[in-house]
Amino acid sequence: MTLVATSVAAVLFLALPLAVTDEYYLHVFVGILYFAYMASAWNIVCGYTGQLSLGHSALSGIGGYISTLLLINAGLTPWIGMFIGAVCATGVGVLVGWPCFRLRGPYFALTTIAFAEILRIWTENTEEIFGVELRGAQGLSVPLKGHAPALFQFDGKVPYYYIIIAMLVGVMAITWWMERSRMGFYLKAIRADQDGAEALGVNSTRYLLSAMAVSSFLTALGGSYYAQYFRYINPERNMGLDLSIELALMGIVGGQGTVLGPVLGAFLLTPAGEITRATLGGKFPGLHLVIYGLVLILAMLFLPKGLIQPIRRLLGRKSAASRESEPAAA
Amino acid sequence: MKPKTLFVSLIAISLALWTVPVLAGEKVAEVKLGSVLSLSGGAANQGTQTKAGAIIAADEINAKGGIPALGGAKIQLIFGDSQSKPDVGASETERIIQRENVPLMFGAYQSAVTTVTTEVAERYKTPWLVTGSVADIITQRGFKYTFRPNNKAVYDANEQLQAIKTLTQETGKGPKSIGILVEGTDWGKSHAANLRKLAKDLNYEIVVDEAYSPGTVDFSAQILKIKSRKPEAMVIAMYTPDHIVFTKQAYEGRLDVPFGIHSVGAGSEDPNFYKAVPVQAIEYMFVQEDFQIDITELVDWTKPVDKKFAEMLGYPLTSYGGQGYSAIYTIYDVLQRAGSLDKEKIRDAFAKTNITSGPALIMGWQKIAFDKDGQNVDAHGCISQNFKGKRTTIWPVANRPKGVKPVWPIPAWKDR
Amino acid sequence: MDPIFLGISVVNGIVVGGLYGAIAIGLSLIFGVMRVINFAHGSFLMVGLFIPYWLWQLFKINPYVSVLVAAPALFVLGYAIQAILIAPLYKRERAMVLEPISALMLTAGVGLIMDNVAFMIFGPDFRGVTLDFASKAFWIGETLNINYTRFTAFLVSLALTALLSLFLVRTDLGRAIRSTAQNRDAAALCGINVMRIYNVTFGLGCAVLGVVGCLMIPFYPVSPSIGLAFGIRSFITVVLGGIGSIPGCILGGLVLGIVESVAAQFVTATSASIFSFVIFILVLFFRPTGLLGMKV
Repeated sequence: MTLVATSVAAVLFLALPLAVTDEYYLHVFVGILYFAYMASAWNIVCGYTGQLSLGHSALSGIGGYISTLLLINAGLTPWIGMFIGAVCATGVGVLVGWPCFRLRGPYFALTTIAFAEILRIWTENTEEIFGVELRGAQGLSVPLKGHAPALFQFDGKVPYYYIIIAMLVGVMAITWWMERSRMGFYLKAIRADQDGAEALGVNSTRYLLSAMAVSSFLTALGGSYYAQYFRYINPERNMGLDLSIELALMGIVGGQGTVLGPVLGAFLLTPAGEITRATLGGKFPGLHLVIYGLVLILAMLFLPKGLIQPIRRLLGRKSAASRESEPAAA
Repeated sequence: MKPKTLFVSLIAISLALWTVPVLAGEKVAEVKLGSVLSLSGGAANQGTQTKAGAIIAADEINAKGGIPALGGAKIQLIFGDSQSKPDVGASETERIIQRENVPLMFGAYQSAVTTVTTEVAERYKTPWLVTGSVADIITQRGFKYTFRPNNKAVYDANEQLQAIKTLTQETGKGPKSIGILVEGTDWGKSHAANLRKLAKDLNYEIVVDEAYSPGTVDFSAQILKIKSRKPEAMVIAMYTPDHIVFTKQAYEGRLDVPFGIHSVGAGSEDPNFYKAVPVQAIEYMFVQEDFQIDITELVDWTKPVDKKFAEMLGYPLTSYGGQGYSAIYTIYDVLQRAGSLDKEKIRDAFAKTNITSGPALIMGWQKIAFDKDGQNVDAHGCISQNFKGKRTTIWPVANRPKGVKPVWPIPAWKDR
Repeated sequence: MDPIFLGISVVNGIVVGGLYGAIAIGLSLIFGVMRVINFAHGSFLMVGLFIPYWLWQLFKINPYVSVLVAAPALFVLGYAIQAILIAPLYKRERAMVLEPISALMLTAGVGLIMDNVAFMIFGPDFRGVTLDFASKAFWIGETLNINYTRFTAFLVSLALTALLSLFLVRTDLGRAIRSTAQNRDAAALCGINVMRIYNVTFGLGCAVLGVVGCLMIPFYPVSPSIGLAFGIRSFITVVLGGIGSIPGCILGGLVLGIVESVAAQFVTATSASIFSFVIFILVLFFRPTGLLGMKV
């Protein structure tokens, strides 16, 4: 059943640019898929460890800045630069995560905010470092090379669309595999009761940090993608609290700790925000944020495990006859 | 409510929203002009003022019969909200260009947003008239479709120092040292950087060079520093809330700066600032802005514009309102010469612009013409000095009303 | 660095710090009793600033008098939000594993709505109150001046802290609140209506913001956007001072105020805010109970 659904979805998405030639709609889809990717990357650590990170935007900022700086100053193609950025972000993520994971619940969240804010403020205030121009709060413009696939720049939207699909499929695959691996099993135990798990001999630090490493790596790649798509990054938008909250919002509303949850969250919230802004933004500025707030409150009150719950149940009922075993994730 | 019901309702609502654009809108013989402005978020104030100015101008033109060269077509303004974010601005630009098929666009006040939106417009070969953004880079990229009628950032810094120089020449007295206090993001810091360069050339010593975090509640520390280093003139770049707090505290602390406090706009262009500080606190303060603030008293045809703006927003015409107004009249001039909605013809008409009179000059400029980078080199700001709550233009001398004598140097607090 | 100027910057830091402490009291109380991090804390402060502003703007009522309106209004608002929106989370907790994140995200949603509804109604403008006496200051020597309204805010903040501490120790309701904070189930066994205590505590935390708003509006302008920055500052203050300790809040606020003020003399003020965050992180790692806090 799920195989059929997945194949149909796959075909639909891959064929979409053939049917939709309007650049604006393609742009909207790229936006949705981008947030689905980022929320999924966030989910790898936050959904499965039960800790709430509100500083993930810092990782995306690191990725974006490093790949862009390497492009501007060394002419290095972002195809390579983005992986260098991802490695740096992983280092930062693990370094920061190591002491942070000792904290629980809201303290962890507050600390992630603090770290991200430190990075953002520092970047905003630094014009240059070791001779490399950072331009502080003004942000960096990616040099415009027109259509240059080797430098990760394309003229239309279609190549970007396929790249983000590939990235999204990748992150979903990684999440799916991780769920069923031993690491996923241990993470579930840690999430349910960290002390209990440790009492049974699970090295929680190792698994938590591994999840953090993977999440940081993928989030940073997303940051580089953003830089190449919008051709501009600045500390406020790419390392700021707004972005972190958006990612957490989508992950939680969609359903943490599941493969599809964050994707669902992105697919619901991004168009809702886009449409509200497009139709009412000029006349009722701020309304889309009120709607986000409402969705968040309703989700927390009625669907704390995310939107994925009722969908699961819907699908579950359909295939009740086939005696399918429940998926491993809660 | 059962979760399933909730879920279905949410989906239904999302789908229903899609029908809204379909149901709205009827077709009339008209020209659609697109705009992206910060209508929400941190820069909502300025975006809203620009929008109001543009609406006033469009209404005026439509009342007189639309655009003659386009068969009397009326102007319809399409506004997109950048939410003060560059990527949202880019999305809105994409949407408006693609879905509304506009021949040109204007906006977006914030430099970070305009940098990105003009790039999108350039890719779609759509002319973009900049309003309010001062970042130098916007007209330094070799773009063919970007046109900026207002100052570049470096002009602002230059003008402040030029004004000081002019006043020094007129009276034989002037400062030898300068202090700088700016807000610590994008705008403030680039202004400080420009000042440093220019001050060096003009042989001013910089004895205070400070940046503060946005949201600072207390400027005692900075005022203390200024008192101890004693700069003879101060240049400040502050947004509204900080400017309010700083000005109040400088007044309470009786901060004496012999050759004045020179504010480079933003907070000091905001009518709310003037409502929130006591009149004595801003006495003799210099304000540099893109707009000639007293033009609505000196030039008759500007008075109805001022009145309508005040009806819409509750305060007199501001610099950003003027920019919105000027943008529409500039576009009117361009469309008249282009005589068509073809983007290439419009772009060429933009490039050949040479406006030396008329409503587009409400800002106080003498001319609007664009160099090969799309920059109006005849753009300039005006600097006013505050006398008992009234801002009167004192620089450039060409814009100074007859009989006005600037107060220079500024009397100390104990002598007032 | 001139010791006089250093001394002056410390004094300024203390005056501001007392106010930071008062702002954070509500957050500390709410977290200490209910283990809920109120992400909407700054938004409530924003409401607490708008009420005296509009009362002054429309009816020319002195902000210090507006306390009589603002404090009860915010108490009711806080009580209502806790009772209607947050309480259901606790009821659910009995059945399933508590999701601590839910309450945090819920209050974040509340904050989003409050900020943006205020934005839609009032617009983005900053609004200040100009009172004649607001610009007067008293001088110590030639260089140190302290503004009357700021000093008043400082004194009242201290008084408020003392009053609140007394309330918690001496009154029945206060004791009920403290015991609920220590052990919810034990308190319930003693016959305390835990949900009602939660509601009252939330209301109380917000009511404090009503008082603080009236103290602040004479010298600080309000707009719908100021919530988040104050919210974050309050977190830092609470952690510094210690969760659940009211005097700790003032202490935390003083430390924050002094660090901000003194650091700004040596480095640019923008970098100074990094110091606040660094101290915050260090405290969380090495002394999570804060300066005066109880064990969490």
